[in-house]
Amino acid sequence: MRRLRVILAILVCKAARWGLRVLGRGGTSVPGKLALRVCPDLLGALGRQVYTIVITGTNGKTTSARMLEQCLENGAIPAFANRSGANLLPGITAEFVAHATISGKMRLGHAIIECDEAAFRLAGPYLDAKVVLVTNVFRDQLDRFGEITHTLNSIRAGIEYSPNATVCINADCALCVGMVQGLPNPIRYFGVETALFDDGEDGMAEMARCPACSTAVVYDYKTYGHLGGYGCPDCAFTRPKADVAVTAVLEELPDTVRVEVQAGGERRHMTINLPGAYNIYNAAGVIAVAEVLNLGMSVTAAALAEFRGGFGRMERLNIGDVTVRMILVKNPIGCSQVLRYLGAMQAPMTLVICLNDRSGDGADVSWIWDVDAEILGQMGERLHTVYCSGIRADEVAVWMKYAGVDEGKIQVEHDTDKLLESVASSSVPVYVMPTYTAMLEVREKLAKQYGLSQFWE
Amino acid sequence: MELNICHLYPDLLNLYGDRGNVVTLARRCEMRGIEVTVTGAPLGERVNLADFDLLFLGGGQDAEQGVLLDELHNWRGAEVKAAIEDGAVTLAICGGYQLLGRSYKTWDGKEMDCAGALDVISVGQKERMIGDYMFQWDEPGAPIHIVGFENHSAKTYLGNGVTPFGRVLAGHGNNGEDGTEGARYHNVFGTYSHGPLLPKNPKLADWLLRLALERKYGSAELESLDDTLEEAANAFMVARLANE
Repeated sequence: MRRLRVILAILVCKAARWGLRVLGRGGTSVPGKLALRVCPDLLGALGRQVYTIVITGTNGKTTSARMLEQCLENGAIPAFANRSGANLLPGITAEFVAHATISGKMRLGHAIIECDEAAFRLAGPYLDAKVVLVTNVFRDQLDRFGEITHTLNSIRAGIEYSPNATVCINADCALCVGMVQGLPNPIRYFGVETALFDDGEDGMAEMARCPACSTAVVYDYKTYGHLGGYGCPDCAFTRPKADVAVTAVLEELPDTVRVEVQAGGERRHMTINLPGAYNIYNAAGVIAVAEVLNLGMSVTAAALAEFRGGFGRMERLNIGDVTVRMILVKNPIGCSQVLRYLGAMQAPMTLVICLNDRSGDGADVSWIWDVDAEILGQMGERLHTVYCSGIRADEVAVWMKYAGVDEGKIQVEHDTDKLLESVASSSVPVYVMPTYTAMLEVREKLAKQYGLSQFWE
Repeated sequence: MELNICHLYPDLLNLYGDRGNVVTLARRCEMRGIEVTVTGAPLGERVNLADFDLLFLGGGQDAEQGVLLDELHNWRGAEVKAAIEDGAVTLAICGGYQLLGRSYKTWDGKEMDCAGALDVISVGQKERMIGDYMFQWDEPGAPIHIVGFENHSAKTYLGNGVTPFGRVLAGHGNNGEDGTEGARYHNVFGTYSHGPLLPKNPKLADWLLRLALERKYGSAELESLDDTLEEAANAFMVARLANE
């Protein structure tokens, strides 16, 4: 009976997904929901058959998953991953179904599942993950729960449902380290042991409180946000020694960064095929996971040097002669890091910011004011124009003005078609920073007008 | 001319972009050649509030407000209250607004004393009031539409010692019951409006600056600025909320 339910649910899911594609739509949420209605334990039936690696945390899930996918591919380990941001329970289920036969047999042995914190708590019991990677935890008002404690508790619950998992934790995130205290799972720590910026200080002045006694922790060095080397002045809580440590940033280029990594008793240079401080952390986390999988450092290093960023993560495309890079922005800490990266570019650029306030973006756009945008005002001639677009284009324009961007450079353009015309005729490289639904809109127009591929392909 | 701004608890009450208000006040001074300083007063750090012309408190996570209440009870509450009685221009948003009030009762019945600087009480609810909202502010004579974003679980009720800041046109405001939004007392403006409030409500920003200058220098003429972008951002939300 149960077997029949599984088969029926798989059929429903596959049919619904096929149907949506015929209608020209992507998406995994509806097919997954339908399948779960037919067989609530579907994910368990499929999940038990594979070695699952769960990636969760506030920022960096998608990029870490892309990096890890490449690692497994280079290591000749057949695996699948949930793409297109399908990181809630129905989407994850649909992804498993896509890689199952009609009779309910998984075709591939490994799964890389990026998982929203709340979804991890829900999916945890079914997935029986063998590795859990927690990238970081940042405070975020767009968070549906609004409370950091809730987020941490969800992740912890997810890990408690994964008794067979080795847990890879960001040693520089006091919140993550506090969260795993007392868990029986083997823990592997990764971190960055060098300041990531010349000034060694991040403007947002975020800091963590000791998870044991609530005292503000003291830092030896900070990388960004509340991340860094810390210790509690009042109790024994301190940053654990990192098993995988980035010990130096050797070279930063527009599209890559070279770092020195200490792991497994060896020290080696690695190239990460994406720029930006946050991607150094993503790579460190992935190296930790790759060690658990016994992939070997040379396999991992080669993968990090050649992987391609995910959906809107520094994706590069050309419109005629113009190079356009798209960087999804979701929250203040991520956006600040992107602006920091842009501010350090020597070549002139045009910037496009598309701010929507639909539910996929977060209805509250006030987070942009928590971003360190002043760096744009200091770019001078290197910043040609800032196009402000999206539903809340006017809000972006005010934000830019108060960040100190010369008003003559601020262009409000509500119409996406006209915006893309301006982008296509730019004389300098263009960086597009959209929120989630704005990105979908921009991509769809790009696909239609300039023949770029659709996102679910 | 010079104005000194004190940002209270930038370390704890800093989650909802409210620092945009401080940026706006400071920039609008700079654009007019008024010198301005911004000083943060985080938890545990004593400043002399009498040195400041403008006080600002933002909103934060509920979880972080407990440690803050201790400090308010011990010493800061009395200092803030004295500054307010002395006429310091004060803008308090959401959590900051609640903390200035008399008390906060959680939805499960725990009652906590707050700073007692404003005659308002807040009562926690299970359902949060979240969304874009708009209220009418009549104080300047010609009514002005203020737009913002509210996100609070408590309902706030005004006592006799304060007057409403505005009348709700869309959304919930203080409690979603009596049509009031925020509270006014001396030079205090308490409100639920994140957004942040001042960037897209430039008339309110200038009102606060003018009050602060008048208090300090007796009289003040504020040079008018080109607010095309600010007013466009305001008009967009006014139009959208009017159609809802």
